[in-house]
Amino acid sequence: MKKIFLKELKMNLKTLLIWSLSVGGIGLACILLYSSMEGEIKEMADAFSNMGTFSDAFGMSTLSIATIKGYFATEVGAVHGLGGSMFAAMIAASMLSKEEELHTGEFIYSMPVSRKRIVFAKALCISVMVFSFTVICSILYACGFVALGEELPVQEFVTYMGMQFLMDMEIAAVCFGISAASSKTKTGSALGCALMCYAYDVIGRVVPDVKEYLFIGPFSYSNASEIFSGADMCTKGIIVGIVITTLSVLFAFWYYDKRDLAS
Amino acid sequence: MANVIEIKNLTKSYGKSRGVIDVSLAVKEGDIFGFLGPNGAGKSTTIRSMMGFLKYDSGSIKILGMDSVKDREKIMANVGYMPSEAWFYDSMKVSEVIAYAADIRGVDCRDEAEKLCERLKVNTNKKIRELSYGNKKKVSIVCAMQHKPKLFIFDEPTGGLDPLMQRSFFELINEYVDKGATCLLSTHVLTEVNKYCKSAAIMREGRLTMLDSPDIDDDEFLKFYEETEEEA
Repeated sequence: MKKIFLKELKMNLKTLLIWSLSVGGIGLACILLYSSMEGEIKEMADAFSNMGTFSDAFGMSTLSIATIKGYFATEVGAVHGLGGSMFAAMIAASMLSKEEELHTGEFIYSMPVSRKRIVFAKALCISVMVFSFTVICSILYACGFVALGEELPVQEFVTYMGMQFLMDMEIAAVCFGISAASSKTKTGSALGCALMCYAYDVIGRVVPDVKEYLFIGPFSYSNASEIFSGADMCTKGIIVGIVITTLSVLFAFWYYDKRDLAS
Repeated sequence: MANVIEIKNLTKSYGKSRGVIDVSLAVKEGDIFGFLGPNGAGKSTTIRSMMGFLKYDSGSIKILGMDSVKDREKIMANVGYMPSEAWFYDSMKVSEVIAYAADIRGVDCRDEAEKLCERLKVNTNKKIRELSYGNKKKVSIVCAMQHKPKLFIFDEPTGGLDPLMQRSFFELINEYVDKGATCLLSTHVLTEVNKYCKSAAIMREGRLTMLDSPDIDDDEFLKFYEETEEEA
């Protein structure tokens, strides 16, 4: 099992580096742009915070984008939220199905390793990759604060990145379940799943009727503006997230173990 | 001689499509068993059920005296399998694939792998993506043989191999069988069965018929194919 895990990690290393450096790099660039935009942002901040539901949706009613905290939460928060969820969805969607799609399944499944162990090794690989992605991005964002000479709000920052990790794991788990049930990689569906979750959250914050059900989506508990403004944690969302993650992973184990494998 | 493979009343369907129906088969220790039949007859379904890739509907499969479902891991430790089409991870080098297969099995096969690569003229420095179909087959043979299994299961192994390699391949099989291994060989090539197999069976329309002898002539052999085509 260890060998399968290490092989998966090695084969996905390039993807991990490309995505984490791209998303983290864009986030870092955004942070570095803050000092050059500081003056203009101050003028825009008032206007942005008075745009009603639009301001609510993007967290600009609770945090001023004229501050580094507010700027980070609204700008980098959107980049990292979307980038991270798409990365998690993409790697998880192909993790199991690629063996059948690329016809390598007959090689790996003719080895003396049970399907459950293979699923476990691959699930572990996804977890390590999502964690590494979060750590690399966190380091890059922290570097941005240091470069600007701004104080990093450590507690909020760690909470935010932790919640983002949890959210990415939830999306990855759902896509891992899809991957277990399919012999073709559904990258399009996986990316669609991530974008739908984001859209649901944005819509939920604009439409009052949906707001009550916002906790169903994974973006509910990882919202940067809420975390950086010190709002109450969305406990219901976290519980739903943990339940969905657990059920999706259990489904992947159960279904993959019982189904026919394509040649 | 004990039965190395014992299949009883195996039935597998794919939804409404027929897979195999009530297949019973026994392969004795030390045998080279020819498994013949037209395309779509159910040979691969039978093999893939034995390997645990497919979950069969009814019947039982015992390999090396163990249940193919409950004891799958123990069985696979003693089986060398070669699929009809050899696919590996494109980005890996041949040497990495061979070492990876040995590592997963948890055995040190370096000496045997080296011997096999030499006999089959496998270039271990090349990347998988650079290999031709025949050369991928050779890598697959090395992966199936390097751990010196008790049972070989080969699904159309010689397709893509040149005549010299085909001869080397059968020489290797004979050497392993002489040392106590058993081989199930699924093939379309009658001469391979006549020349190398000790017993044989033919599949048609999902059903299996044991042959009295693997020495059947072309006309008798082709009759199975013609009847299948007429029925189709």
